[in-house]
Amino acid sequence: MASIQVELPALGESVVEGTVSKWLVQEGDRVERDQALVEITTDKVDAEIPSPEAGVVEKLLVAEGDTVAVGAVLVTLSAGSGAEVAAPAATAAEPQTVRDTAPAAAVSAQPAPKAEARPVAQSAATPLARRVAEQGGVELRAVEPTGAAGKITQADVLRHAAGAAPAQAPPAAAQTAPARGSAPRARPGFLDYTLQPGDEVIPMSPLRKLVAEHMVLSKRVSPHVGTVAEIDLGGVIGVRDAHKKDFRATHGFALTFLPFIVHAAVRALREFPALNASVLEDAIVYKKDIHVGIAVETEKGLVVPVVRHADRLSLTGLAEAVEDLASRARSKRLSPDELKGGTFTVSNPGRHGNLYGFAIINQPQVGILRMGEIVKRPVVRELDGQDAIVIRPLMHLALSYDHRAVDGAPANGFLFRVRELLEVAEFDL
Amino acid sequence: MALVVEELGRVAYEEALQLQERALEARLRGEMSDRLFLLEHPPVVTLGRSAHVENLKLAPQELARRGIEVHDVRRGGDVTWHGPGQLVGYLVIDLAERGAPDVGAHLRGIETALCDALRELGVRSRTLPGWTGVFADAPLPAQRGVSRPEDPPRKLASIGVGVRRWVSWHGFALNVDPDLAGFDVIVPCGLHGVEMSSLARELGETAPFDLAERARKAVRIAFEARFGG
Repeated sequence: MASIQVELPALGESVVEGTVSKWLVQEGDRVERDQALVEITTDKVDAEIPSPEAGVVEKLLVAEGDTVAVGAVLVTLSAGSGAEVAAPAATAAEPQTVRDTAPAAAVSAQPAPKAEARPVAQSAATPLARRVAEQGGVELRAVEPTGAAGKITQADVLRHAAGAAPAQAPPAAAQTAPARGSAPRARPGFLDYTLQPGDEVIPMSPLRKLVAEHMVLSKRVSPHVGTVAEIDLGGVIGVRDAHKKDFRATHGFALTFLPFIVHAAVRALREFPALNASVLEDAIVYKKDIHVGIAVETEKGLVVPVVRHADRLSLTGLAEAVEDLASRARSKRLSPDELKGGTFTVSNPGRHGNLYGFAIINQPQVGILRMGEIVKRPVVRELDGQDAIVIRPLMHLALSYDHRAVDGAPANGFLFRVRELLEVAEFDL
Repeated sequence: MALVVEELGRVAYEEALQLQERALEARLRGEMSDRLFLLEHPPVVTLGRSAHVENLKLAPQELARRGIEVHDVRRGGDVTWHGPGQLVGYLVIDLAERGAPDVGAHLRGIETALCDALRELGVRSRTLPGWTGVFADAPLPAQRGVSRPEDPPRKLASIGVGVRRWVSWHGFALNVDPDLAGFDVIVPCGLHGVEMSSLARELGETAPFDLAERARKAVRIAFEARFGG
């Protein structure tokens, strides 16, 4: 009689292991199909693992209290009642087949080339391959691996799915669905999308996931209002041009426009503390210190290191702090403390294709200033009491603010003050 | 995939357990739709599969003397207390009919539905990564909008679930207005450093007189929305 291995099945995407909490059978016991063999605990879930076949319990391979990985063999059975097991595919690893009334049909319908399917342990397929297999309804155990260390890769899964002949039975998951009367439904929050050839599925990195969650949270928590000012940067450009060569020589990096914007913003924040605040349950806390976050794009994603006490720094000090934080952000040498405690944020997403835009507030702050590109435009200025058209370099600065705590007047007042400071262009270098 | 919600009033623990078993088997046979049972228990301490007997602060005999039953239960989680004023929900649903079955997603779904219900009741709540359950997310009324780093997290709802062939059972216990002293006989969920709290305590003077009824309704609506087809 064939020996069946009963594995710890996949209990969920994020579940990689389980603890044996209670054996419900002993070695030598005769068991029915679907009879619960063991209880496995993971987090706050106690799952009963059913027997895939009728038979006799041979060996309990794991003790109560032990924790094992998904795919580990828990117990072996010797199959009774003459159930022909062509492949170990009929194990608890595919719970839906266990409940199907015709398991023999599922087994014999496995794609022909794989006369003997292997149990697929957690490490035998890349996470991407698993994801693609699940989305495409492909049975991993039937896929031929070509990856390093014998792993099944995404390409292997896609190739298998493309190569399966139409006459072959569909994978077990899809097959049991009609028998049970309803097709699996897409999980809430997931788009109903079927992979097409050429599509590339890239799992989100932890940083990407964090950023994504924060963006959704921020929009949900703060009612965002945007306001834009058009800034004549002629004065700033004059100061920068006068100093950039010396600056580069002394400091080894270029003086950009960002420190000028931050210099003006923090001085305006002193006069408009409503923008340097946080919303509590039914109170607003106006913060004494001004710590400005600078949004930096790294290859891993968006990171916002904080320049502490930014209002105490000179223009040079700001330039140095920004350069230091940005380069350490890109080389991943920031400490966690440097990413916390910001009270306001300035974002500079790039010079091209960016006239202006409204950034998403960095919680728990109430305002974020976003720089636009510098464009030369004809504008009207009063010269000697007459209106004249002149050509000036202009940048749009866009402020997003949280309307729970900040009303239009202080928001516009703040932005206008930033504009004034930049246009007067007196910076303590 | 409809979710039918049944309100059962006060039910003894043993009786509710048998009701759940019958519902679970009926669901497996396809004879019943997904179901949420909302009820209350007389005072009882239950031990889940991760329970440590040290988390019982009184010996079983002493508990019995005080009229508190003790049960071992086929659910995940450590030890907890149920009693009057606590809304217990047993969620018998087929996880496999909702796409790739995922017990972790099931727990998160229960947490989210409870947070949705609490929001309707004016209670801000949150989950804590690594700790299944629902916790208060605002300072107590007496603290006026300020929370201090040393404040212990206050737990509002405990969750513990069982799974048989991808049908879930057991579920959650939401502290609406129980006598929180009931929890003194145990270390709840084996978590030292966590305080048990209730909706009544969180709302303080703003708690409506019909909080229990509103809580049942809010939970019913939130679960129908999240788990109903």
